[in-house]
Amino acid sequence: MKHKALLNKVGLWSATAAASAALVIGIAPITAKALTIPTEVTEEGKNTYKKYCSPCHGEEGKGDGPLARSMLPKPRDFTRGAYKFRTTPSGSLPTDEDMYRTISYGVPNSTMIPWDILTEEQRTSVIPLLKSFSEAFEVRKPEAPVDVGLEVRPTEKTVADGKKIYEEKLECWKCHGVEGRGDGPSAAEQEDDFGFPIKPFDFTTGKFKGGNSSRDVYLRFTTGLNGTPMPSFAKELTDEQRWYLTHYVISLIKPEETSK
Amino acid sequence: MKQLLLLCAFFGFLNWNVISSEDTLADNYTEVEVKDGGTVVGNVKYMGDLTTLSLNLYAEWELPEISKTATEKLIVSMVNHGLKYAVVSITDITHGKKKVIPTIHPIIDQQRNTFIPHVTAIISGTAIDILNGDEELHTVHTRTIKNQPFNLGTTYKQRISKTFEYPETIKLTCDLHKKSYAWIVVLDNPYFDITDKNGYFEICDIPPGTYKFQVWHEELGKLEKEVKINPKETSNIEFIYSQY
Repeated sequence: MKHKALLNKVGLWSATAAASAALVIGIAPITAKALTIPTEVTEEGKNTYKKYCSPCHGEEGKGDGPLARSMLPKPRDFTRGAYKFRTTPSGSLPTDEDMYRTISYGVPNSTMIPWDILTEEQRTSVIPLLKSFSEAFEVRKPEAPVDVGLEVRPTEKTVADGKKIYEEKLECWKCHGVEGRGDGPSAAEQEDDFGFPIKPFDFTTGKFKGGNSSRDVYLRFTTGLNGTPMPSFAKELTDEQRWYLTHYVISLIKPEETSK
Repeated sequence: MKQLLLLCAFFGFLNWNVISSEDTLADNYTEVEVKDGGTVVGNVKYMGDLTTLSLNLYAEWELPEISKTATEKLIVSMVNHGLKYAVVSITDITHGKKKVIPTIHPIIDQQRNTFIPHVTAIISGTAIDILNGDEELHTVHTRTIKNQPFNLGTTYKQRISKTFEYPETIKLTCDLHKKSYAWIVVLDNPYFDITDKNGYFEICDIPPGTYKFQVWHEELGKLEKEVKINPKETSNIEFIYSQY
């Protein structure tokens, strides 16, 4: 009797242990592996670039591929080393991770699709090649990424303060319009560093090019968009003010526009 | 003791490595003491027909700034045809006087939507302070490749300091006031000057020899001339742009 009870107990315990182990394995998150980005141009990188990137960005990265003619915004010309979406300060080159992010997530509202259909190796392999197109990577190094601290809690007051900055201090409406539709008085005359016309962003669509999280929006004011008229306001605004402006800009999204 | 010595030697080697790598980075200009240098005094002229210059036909119209043509590109003295804001430099000099990087930063100010001065020539390594003297938002935007480009929003009384390390001709623009822009000419030797309102310039302490003098103007382009410099003598040269 005693033996049986013991056996039962052992059985129960082992069953529980096995079940919990299985659970743990099942629940355990697939942790993000550290990204390994090659430092040298590889054959795989060349092949991937030729097949998937060069139709738009051109064989030599000048943004002049056969499909580029019919596109606006134009595919990026890599020869100047001007990358829009970065975590580094204004004018700086991007980090490898920034480039990987843009390749993987794409750029909404443009013809750059998220290339997550390629394997991670393929996506990382093109990065050294992209860097080799520009003299800038030989002369300069990317600066350290901007430190994004804790987000200020969004409240009605922060949105109201953000509105003041948008309308009075920085006059963002001059390009982006009072309602944030990208139709301000200076909007029509904007052009990028390559001489192509560029439209100030329409915030009401909610499809932010550099990502939709408040951290992404915050980074755009802080780092600016290299190669475009969008400057950095890192010197003009305090950390908190940039969060206020972030909250106001996000509040301009119109739900009915996002479904379009 | 032996270990200490070895360590010292190791760090010394490291240090030497750092210094030598910096040397290779620097350009091929060597600083020497110039004792009996010569001077060049000259004049840059524009002899073209001034009536053929483009007029701002839309000056009185309420059009976006981009539709109007800028008119401040060519400033010519009515007295002697002297051309303002031309940069004269020696392009092929390999040794000469010390590069002096000014401790007081040159200033480019934005006043009434205009950059003042319109052209600034500096030696590489100089920092420039960019000011906003208007009670409205401006941006300062450069599109350089070697020097770090920047695009910053500036409000009233903002002062931004930027250092330019590599020789480049840089256009500085404001994206909110398309008509206004300025030029920053970064040079790798100290032998240069900007012409004044009558087109005059002066470059001194040049070691004797024959050099290529170049003049650059944003609208009229470049001109070159070879000049022989004799010790302790002042030579006169003249650059003439014939037609626009």
